Amino acid sequence: MRQLFIILGLISAIFAVILAVLPLSNFAFFPAIAGLLFGILAFLKGRKENKPKHTIQLIFLLTIIALALATYKSITATTEVGNTEQLEQRDQESEENAIEELEDIDFTE
Amino acid sequence: MKHLFLFLALSFSLFSKAQNNAFQAGESLTFTAGYNMSGLMTDFAQVTMQTSEVKTSSSTLLRLKCKATTYSKWDNFFKIRDLYESYVNPNTLKPYLYKRDIDEGGHYKFVKYNFNHRTNTVKSLIRKKSKNFESGFWDRNANIKINSGTKDIVTTIYHIRSLDIKKAKVGAIDTFTVLFDGKETKCKFTYVAKETINTAIGSKECYKLRINLINNDALKGNDNLIWLTADENKVPVYAKFKLAVGNGELKIKSATGLKN
Repeated sequence: MRQLFIILGLISAIFAVILAVLPLSNFAFFPAIAGLLFGILAFLKGRKENKPKHTIQLIFLLTIIALALATYKSITATTEVGNTEQLEQRDQESEENAIEELEDIDFTE
Repeated sequence: MKHLFLFLALSFSLFSKAQNNAFQAGESLTFTAGYNMSGLMTDFAQVTMQTSEVKTSSSTLLRLKCKATTYSKWDNFFKIRDLYESYVNPNTLKPYLYKRDIDEGGHYKFVKYNFNHRTNTVKSLIRKKSKNFESGFWDRNANIKINSGTKDIVTTIYHIRSLDIKKAKVGAIDTFTVLFDGKETKCKFTYVAKETINTAIGSKECYKLRINLINNDALKGNDNLIWLTADENKVPVYAKFKLAVGNGELKIKSATGLKN
């Protein structure tokens, strides 16, 4: 059982770190909390049996990194549009081409 | 992104036609497109809808334009720069030229429809990038027969805003036809309720509409909804569409140049 919690905790923690790095950082909270819970459960199981705790410490470390990064990004994130220079150019060219094309159309149809 | 526009377009057909009192040239609406999962929202793109006047030597047309741009944090992962536009008669809102110029994550596609309302046909051009051709593009031309009243997606969005929704009763259903990807798509639209919702442009009383596509899988289920302000402008302020996991959302950010 302890092994299962460790594996699930590790997978959740790694997943949380990956999400936290990506622009989807808001969704890192779900696996991070799951990772923490699995880590605590594995820790409690292991305490009775007096087993090594290195992997559990790693789970906690990864989830804390993920949570900290996701929280930082959610506070500081700005929703800015990237470079639209090319799009503006396409927009302008498209209008010029359209005017040329529409010259031949009979609007009384 | 095309589903987003399709959803928007299909969100607007109403029961009685009216003079266009809803919008004018110079209007600009800005939206935030996002993904919502269990209350956690991630914004990924900005969508703008703008109108402007275009003059040819013989007439004046209305240019209806929709643009979608991903936020800078997404650009390195999946960059979207989409341009949808339609040139319409300012009085009847009949489309004459429709263009779709999309660049989504490196995938480029250009679609052009020249409408002929006398023969009820559309001359269509689809262009994709291809290394197999000297020009660098693969072109496909076709003539498509359409029903009278069929519109492109952008015109449909604006056309619905010009309709007299206030005369429709709750529960009323209507169907209409949109030309998209070379196919006519029929859509069922239901006026669900009148609701007041909080938006970035204030608390607004809105018409809540449900959209169902007929013989099309783009929008599934009964959870594809749109809210239009219950005033003369009928501004689309909020839209929600069901995805496999979570919801896609479109929320208004700003509205300028409104007619009323």
